[in-house]
Amino acid sequence: MSSYHLNRFLFDLKLKEQSYKQALANLDGALNNYELSAEEKQALKDGDPRRLRQLGAHGMLALYIMRLNPEFRSNIYWTQK
Amino acid sequence: MPLVAAVAASHAPNILLEPGAEWDEFMALHYRMAPQAAASKPSLEAQQKLRRDAEKAFSVLRADLEAAKPDVLIVVANDQFVNFFHNNIPTFFVTLADEVKGQFTRHKFHYRNHKELGRAILRAGLESGIDFSFGEYIELQHTQVVPLYFLLPEAKIPILPIYVNTWADPIPTPRRCYQIGELIRKVADGWKERVAILATGGLSHFPGSPRIGQIDTGFDHQLLQIMREGKGRSLADYSVEKICQAGDSEFLNWMVALGTVGDAKASATFYMPDSVATGWGFVSWKLSS
Repeated sequence: MSSYHLNRFLFDLKLKEQSYKQALANLDGALNNYELSAEEKQALKDGDPRRLRQLGAHGMLALYIMRLNPEFRSNIYWTQK
Repeated sequence: MPLVAAVAASHAPNILLEPGAEWDEFMALHYRMAPQAAASKPSLEAQQKLRRDAEKAFSVLRADLEAAKPDVLIVVANDQFVNFFHNNIPTFFVTLADEVKGQFTRHKFHYRNHKELGRAILRAGLESGIDFSFGEYIELQHTQVVPLYFLLPEAKIPILPIYVNTWADPIPTPRRCYQIGELIRKVADGWKERVAILATGGLSHFPGSPRIGQIDTGFDHQLLQIMREGKGRSLADYSVEKICQAGDSEFLNWMVALGTVGDAKASATFYMPDSVATGWGFVSWKLSS
């Protein structure tokens, strides 16, 4: 099964500030903008990049779920591409 | 005029991050994907030495580049989901923008883009069976600006970003990348200005993978030895699987540079595994001009 929409969510989280802000404010609402399986939605809400990779996310996109983690929200990595 | 210089360099973000807090944040993030890699986390002193050693290597490459007095620098790198996504991933892409910009933490980059040379490469490709993708806008990212910070910090000459897909399966073969380099060399040798080339990436690393922290230093040393011997052409025989197994998919960018230098021997090579994720490699070829 294609993981296009899973990767698309993570790609938007990386590059689109509006998508990032929406996900921070209302993750369930943000996820509803994408065609995601229940398993993918749960993995995104759990915020574990290793699990996302197992579901087909590109590893370097999977890391961007950490943008939503308070511990990593100001990480230097997000200030470069 | 002939191609006047060729260099290749790693583009790992931590090369340009400050040792200490910035490295710690970078490592903490990547250790979420590969927790076991934290066991080999380098000390602050080791980080500082790596930075100094990288600066020394870059200073040699920069001196060679400047001595060759290029009028344009072709930059061969891979996109990492900044300009291209799974809805459309070009295997090879030539930039036809007027200018290109990018940012890395507090560092901003802004270069003129040499679209005339880009068009010449596109046209030469079409006439010889290589159909590049092309476009008039790209955003620079760490795959270009980390080496450019050290090699071309002032935008004295235009650049020409060319992308190779080393990132999303399926990726091109080493042989095809070498052929791209041969094509670029042919265009450069007939060009009215002095052309230099920079290839970026690698060496061994497994980004976004539970194998982060594994660095195949043996394979990297073999690559560097082959380049010192001027036998880069032989690497075109390597399979995609062979280079990927060693975590060297970004070496495909270097294969383009190898196609431009042919049988020339690397004049300088440097190697330092960073104990975080990547074997940092730096190579220069002094070409007669």
